[in-house]
Amino acid sequence: MNAMSKPLDKPGIKLAAKPAEGSAGRRELIALAVVIAGLALAMEIGSRFTEDYILPSPVVVGRALIDLLTVDYMHVVITLGRLGMAIVFSLIVGVTIGLLMGTSKKAGPYLKSLVIIDTGIPALSWMLIAVFWFKDPEARIFFILTVILLPFYALNVYEGLRAIPRDWVDMMESFRPSRLQVMRYLIVPHIVPYIFLTTKSVIGYAIRMVIFAELVASAVGIGSRMSFAQSTFRIDQVMAWTFLLVILNLALQSAANLAEKRLLKWRAEAKVR
Amino acid sequence: MTNASQPFISLKNVYKQFGDYVAVDNLSMEVHRGEIVALLGRTGAGKSTVMSMLMGTIACDAGEVRVAGVDPCQEFDALRGKMAVSFQTDRLLPWRTAVENVELGLQILNRPKAETRRAALAWLERVKLKGTEDKYVHELSGGMRQRVSLARALAVDPELVFLDESFSQLDHVTSQVLRKDFAQIVRTYGKTCVFVTHRIEDALDIADRIFVLAAPARVCLELQVDAQLRADADVMSRLHDDIAHAIGGEEQEEGVHE
Repeated sequence: MNAMSKPLDKPGIKLAAKPAEGSAGRRELIALAVVIAGLALAMEIGSRFTEDYILPSPVVVGRALIDLLTVDYMHVVITLGRLGMAIVFSLIVGVTIGLLMGTSKKAGPYLKSLVIIDTGIPALSWMLIAVFWFKDPEARIFFILTVILLPFYALNVYEGLRAIPRDWVDMMESFRPSRLQVMRYLIVPHIVPYIFLTTKSVIGYAIRMVIFAELVASAVGIGSRMSFAQSTFRIDQVMAWTFLLVILNLALQSAANLAEKRLLKWRAEAKVR
Repeated sequence: MTNASQPFISLKNVYKQFGDYVAVDNLSMEVHRGEIVALLGRTGAGKSTVMSMLMGTIACDAGEVRVAGVDPCQEFDALRGKMAVSFQTDRLLPWRTAVENVELGLQILNRPKAETRRAALAWLERVKLKGTEDKYVHELSGGMRQRVSLARALAVDPELVFLDESFSQLDHVTSQVLRKDFAQIVRTYGKTCVFVTHRIEDALDIADRIFVLAAPARVCLELQVDAQLRADADVMSRLHDDIAHAIGGEEQEEGVHE
């Protein structure tokens, strides 16, 4: 690295060099593998002292998982499809609402009030309301996920807008841009990290919500299959589905991290000592 | 619009108040086309308020401000493409590379893509940053960033360039080199430049005329400086003392130093 591109260290903050990033990633992977192995071991030991319907061994759960993936894979696809559609829709509408909250003097206060009221309504209330309002299970699940996820995007984008430095706005204004140009060259690039942050934050929550919603409102999808496994006393299947959901969460988080790294490569990654 | 005999910038009896605080009091001054003019004063003298009024981002309460024949605040868009500003901090957008930051003004002026890239690369070369085109902001030093900021301002080929304490955050040597380079570019391309500074040496080094402002902003001393004067160390030293005296003799405390 030459002098020009050498990151400057500040007291208390150490800018990570590229090789350190790789080793940190490896350390995290190793830690994850150790934790999984530890949990599997604890499960194996526990299974020897309890009944199968209380705690099955990891091998039994593994077999159940293989069965589920070969027989019930369509339920995984359906759940992922619901999740993807709801996240994309919430992202688009939530970002638009967030932008309007921060830029429209007329509509902003009303939208902000609406979003804040929405955040105060428990997820369970929405689930019950959705059962009354919609006959179609797909509409129910889509509605539940959307009303829960959308405020996260709207509020975070709104905060992102408020965090735009006044200096940057003045700099843009000195070139006399149109409102559309301010949006394109300043606001949109500035809020992209906030959108990523929100997406990463809501993935785990969204998975939990879609499972709940499927449990309450649908006959297909992972949630409904978990309900079926519970009603037939198949704890191995419940655990297999749970394990699969954890894997799905990790995979989706990794995909979001990867996309973030590619799109936000301009950011200097800081590491606090 | 102006003709050659008219001042390019004029302020007549300008007054500006923020609440009870009077920031600008009966300020009158003129800047002619092709001049480099310094607005020099202590912190709080109202220099930046004057600059904001010239940029059109705030309106005066009384008096008249004209830039290139128009009121910069009332006719905000009339100065599109005619003026550019470089600020105290670089204000570069971190998601853009050096060359993309220089392109910003040209993109706002809807210049063709190829022309925009060509002009941005040429200006990066002129400010001695060839080879850093694809560096992101965090990969550049403070001096480099300020150079990119100057290139961004000059790339739109403005008739008028405003500098708001653009060199004051840099170390002495970098600041000296940068302002010399900047003055040379401005004179070569025949731009009109108004720059705000609290450092006497910045003003004496590159300005054709210096307006020394006392708080609230009003001209307490006006000086003409040329190459002949600059060559005479004794005269420059006397000018420095005159300015320091006009400012109020508290230059050390307020960061006004040589």
